[in-house]
Amino acid sequence: MGKQEDRKIVTRRDVLKLAGTAAAFCTSFGFLHGSQTGGAVPSKNSKSLIVKELQERWKQAEFKWYNGNKLLGTSPFPARVLEHLQSDEMATVEFKFFRGGNLLRNMGTIEAKH
Amino acid sequence: MAGPHEILGMSRVLGIGTTEFLSLYTDNGGTTLRSEADGRCVFLTPSGCRVHPRRPLVCRLYPLGRTTNERAEERFAVFPAQPDCEAVVGRDGTVSSFLESQGVGPYLGWSRRYGELYRRMLGLLDRLDITGKIDAPAAATPAEAAQAGSGSAGSGQEPDRAPLSSWQDVDASLDEYCAAKGLAVPAEIDEAIALHLRAIEEWLDDLESRLTLAA
Repeated sequence: MGKQEDRKIVTRRDVLKLAGTAAAFCTSFGFLHGSQTGGAVPSKNSKSLIVKELQERWKQAEFKWYNGNKLLGTSPFPARVLEHLQSDEMATVEFKFFRGGNLLRNMGTIEAKH
Repeated sequence: MAGPHEILGMSRVLGIGTTEFLSLYTDNGGTTLRSEADGRCVFLTPSGCRVHPRRPLVCRLYPLGRTTNERAEERFAVFPAQPDCEAVVGRDGTVSSFLESQGVGPYLGWSRRYGELYRRMLGLLDRLDITGKIDAPAAATPAEAAQAGSGSAGSGQEPDRAPLSSWQDVDASLDEYCAAKGLAVPAEIDEAIALHLRAIEEWLDDLESRLTLAA
């Protein structure tokens, strides 16, 4: 494979650097998915304020399935899952597709506190 | 929390480069300022902050906190005063007058610009189909992974003190970028930040075009 063709490939190194930079910016600036925090001073008091605000955001949570832009269906989170999300504990969400007990595709795992 | 532009500013107050600053004064992959054993910021002295003229946004905002949602709507809240904070906190004045008094304007602007780049990075990561488009057979060696994921601050650093990304080291990033482009490295902080943002933007443009070609 020639040099010119190599340039067209997104390499593992590119992905590592991209993921590393996104992670660094996420922490450096307090960026979350699609949102941004700044100026949060870590302390017990401020943390409790943030937790309270985030708990209010978690009054409702649901999955949505789309076909392109067309909404196919929604499903609310089970009550005990929502309760867990409102806590300050780590939540793990796995996206996996099975058929007949066999894993067809692992779409990834998200681990996060709210 | 300390962004690359804030690290640049603080390093200039101390008269050192960002590579040295990251190595000496940051933790958590170069993303937070180091604390002393008693929890004090590494820059807090009996006579005040050592980097006050270029203190980060988080320090300028206190006792306010700021959040923005996905629609870029901004909200400010007042945090309870820290027990050992000597600042006089009152309720006179407005949020905007307080922000102006603390000189946060440019810092908010830069934070928004880096935020735009961050959202582009998330978009690119979303587009990556790991099994389909990435050069999977060429497994990264530990050295390659270290080079891709960390900065140029040196291999002698403890793992959580090595920057997560080489882009956090503004001086090293700009040295490399300017050498490749035949440009002079800016001496002024504002110009350096602007060029740093441009360099990251071009890097993302390149990644995006390669992803599109590979699709």
